[in-house]
Amino acid sequence: MTCLLRKSLRTKALSPFLHKLVGNSSESHHTLASTCWFWCHQSSHSLPQKTNPCFSSNSIPSSRFSNALLQIRFWVSEAAATEPSTSDGLTVQKILANNWNILDENDGDWKSHAAAVAQSINLIKRRLQWEKLKVRLDMLSFQLGKEDLWDDPVRAGKISREHGSLLGKMKEVNALEQELLEHIDMIKLAREENDADLESESLKVLLNMRRDAKEKELEALLAGEQDSCSCYIEVQAGAGGTESMDWASMVMQMYKSWAQRRGYKVTLMDEMPGEIAGIKRATIKVDGEFAFGYVKAEIGVHRLVRISPFDSNKRRHTSFAAVAVIPILGDGSTHVQINESDLRIERFRAGGPGGQHANTTDSAVRIVHIPTGVTATCQNERSQHQNKASAMAVLQSRLDQLEMARQAKFNAQHTESLTDITWGSQIRSYVLHPYRMVKDLRTNYEVSDPDSVLEGDLDGFILSYLSASLDKEDDA
Amino acid sequence: MKLTLSSVYRPHSFPKLLNCSSFGILGRPFCSSALSSSPTCVKPQVPLFLRPPIYSTKLCDLKKWHDWAKGVSLSIGSTFVQSDNGADSNMLCRELKWLMEDAVEDHSLGMEDDDRVKMRIDIEELYCLWTQRVQERRPFQYVVGCEHWRDLVLSVQEGVLIPRPETELVVDFVSDVVSENEDLRSGVWADLGTGSGALAIGICGVLGSEGGRVIATDLSPVAVAVATYNVQRYCLQDKIDLREGSWFEPLKDMEGKLAGLVSNPPYIPSEDISGLQAEVGRHEPRLALDGGIEGMDALHHLCVGAALMLKPGGFFAFETNGEQQCCALVDYIKSRSGRSFCNLEIRADFAGIQRFVIGFHQ
Ligand SMILES: C[S@@+](CC[C@H](N)C(=O)[O-])C[C@H]1O[C@@H](n2cnc3c(N)ncnc32)[C@H](O)[C@@H]1O
Repeated sequence: MTCLLRKSLRTKALSPFLHKLVGNSSESHHTLASTCWFWCHQSSHSLPQKTNPCFSSNSIPSSRFSNALLQIRFWVSEAAATEPSTSDGLTVQKILANNWNILDENDGDWKSHAAAVAQSINLIKRRLQWEKLKVRLDMLSFQLGKEDLWDDPVRAGKISREHGSLLGKMKEVNALEQELLEHIDMIKLAREENDADLESESLKVLLNMRRDAKEKELEALLAGEQDSCSCYIEVQAGAGGTESMDWASMVMQMYKSWAQRRGYKVTLMDEMPGEIAGIKRATIKVDGEFAFGYVKAEIGVHRLVRISPFDSNKRRHTSFAAVAVIPILGDGSTHVQINESDLRIERFRAGGPGGQHANTTDSAVRIVHIPTGVTATCQNERSQHQNKASAMAVLQSRLDQLEMARQAKFNAQHTESLTDITWGSQIRSYVLHPYRMVKDLRTNYEVSDPDSVLEGDLDGFILSYLSASLDKEDDA
Repeated sequence: MKLTLSSVYRPHSFPKLLNCSSFGILGRPFCSSALSSSPTCVKPQVPLFLRPPIYSTKLCDLKKWHDWAKGVSLSIGSTFVQSDNGADSNMLCRELKWLMEDAVEDHSLGMEDDDRVKMRIDIEELYCLWTQRVQERRPFQYVVGCEHWRDLVLSVQEGVLIPRPETELVVDFVSDVVSENEDLRSGVWADLGTGSGALAIGICGVLGSEGGRVIATDLSPVAVAVATYNVQRYCLQDKIDLREGSWFEPLKDMEGKLAGLVSNPPYIPSEDISGLQAEVGRHEPRLALDGGIEGMDALHHLCVGAALMLKPGGFFAFETNGEQQCCALVDYIKSRSGRSFCNLEIRADFAGIQRFVIGFHQ
């Protein structure tokens, strides 16, 4: 009997791989849903009524479809309802309640590993807002099952995508939980049977799970709908002339370095230099996975205290710079439709007759979206056409963000544009004189080496903010 | 070679360079007898960014050059802006960044000062180039040998007009027209005075692979050579037919057959030439700029020819010097060949200047 169990559990040890399969299957569920839709949709137009006397052409595919969905839904709620446990009734909650000592990875016994994994699972659930996630998933499953779902294909696509993604997340955590309990079973069994090999093997697996779960904790910080997007970062100098403009350019430089260190691609879109030094305002694009998820932690006003290099009397100055972040929604998302006729496209130039008279490499373009007054500028490309295309992309993201804010589907504070950010909403303070420190006013996270922060070492600030803002919500 | 700031920046002692291109034919822009002359084989230059990276330099030397060039650029302030609407320091610094982009092969981060950087040009040469840019006001695009125009990167060199951002819009007009007219999309188009080939290549792009052909003409052998080079770079030899000659002269076989006709002909009034921005007046070919006393010699000629060459329903777009020429051209068309054309329209560029006249053949 040990043998049998052992075998079945060994198969389970393959689970990272299986995991992937599970992940994939939720993906394929989603593709299935959309392909299915195309099929339904076409058939409702192309199938003449009479070819199928029993059903209306509409109802066959969609009812078949909703059956499949009902099954999925059933499966989900079932999975959620019965809390997984070991053969002797141990659950993740009970492990946590036991308060087992968590030792260092290297000298941990199985209880220590198990407790660490259980803690991670608990944290991940909290970060994913587990209860809300379940409610939302149920709601989406219900929507997916509705007959009229495909009347609005755009909305249907959205629902199906979100459903797929949430289901994936939920399955991943459930699998982690399941795996933990199975390995506990395994270890207990190995001890009963005095099987040292099996015990050490299972211990190793537990240790791996512990590391794996730690990483997943981080991933769970970035589980928001837009978190995986690339983004734009905008920095604007506060009042105070050159001193603030210099500060604004230091802040921008800090983000450029941070992004480059993380392996993101950074592109300068637009920059309005100060007369003497620094920038009045600038926009960069940060390309790569989870750029928005991280950078959204930086939205707000950043304050600097230092002896100003621009003050001949060497006085201490306080300057401000505002930071706004705009997610760049992926192709899969619904974008705000922009009408060509609502746009006014302008080019800055120094007057003069232009055309053949002038040779300039400056082809900055500004686009105004007349109905909303939203504008976007790009000057960094080498052709007017490309500047226009880049400015259009910025404009699109701004309008998308505006729309998200309007629908209030989105955590309101992450939708603030530069103009909304009040100069009162300080998030962080950088002091170079009389002492040296950078302190986040939201989390109280602080660092005593401002240079490293200004050189882009921001991860500590970002992660502490993200965990603080998610972990405080007590709904797991 | 070590150049110091002071040796480079002496704006008031610049030698007055004379434009060295020949203007022989300018008095008679439509005279085709000047054509029979040189079958001179002009060899187009390869733009900097396409040259092989056979040079290398220490990173610290490159940085030194960069700091020097930046210093030179900053010292210009708004001197050029005030003297003739030229570039300011900011613009020069941006050009400097682009020059680096084109000259340096690998931009990898984390290199040490002593590491060698692969380059497409010798570092000494970079000093010369930037001196030319700032001291002689040589256009940036000639310095790097290319201009980014629409989504194209076109080779340019002395003797060929650097395509202007305004002109990009002509391609948009064509794109709009052909998007709702399959007949025009699949027809033959002409770009007269093609220069670097910008319009011809841009239009070819919007006609699409299923679309028609473009015939491009120019009187200047350098222009034809450079345009040929650009056409080859975009592999459009089968689509674009380059012909050397004056305006419609090389198009005799196309009478009444053209689906569309575009041109950005020389339109600057002769008397304005001497006061042009240094980059333009001292370095760009006069043949590409001087439009005769009123600046409209070529435009008039083109309008008359358009009536003859376009097929019924054919489209035309011409770039002009601004509002005055646009209005004058519309009047000219109405009075001379009023019934040949319809839907005449004046369109503005992005700076809000009325720049283009467009319309259809009846
Ligand atoms: C203003 S440039 C335009 C070049 C190019 N189409 C562009 O937009 O960048 C005018 C062009 O017309 C050409 N040109 C001048 N006189 C001409 C003539 N008589 N016949 C044909 N081309 C001529 C010049 O060589 C020059 O390339």
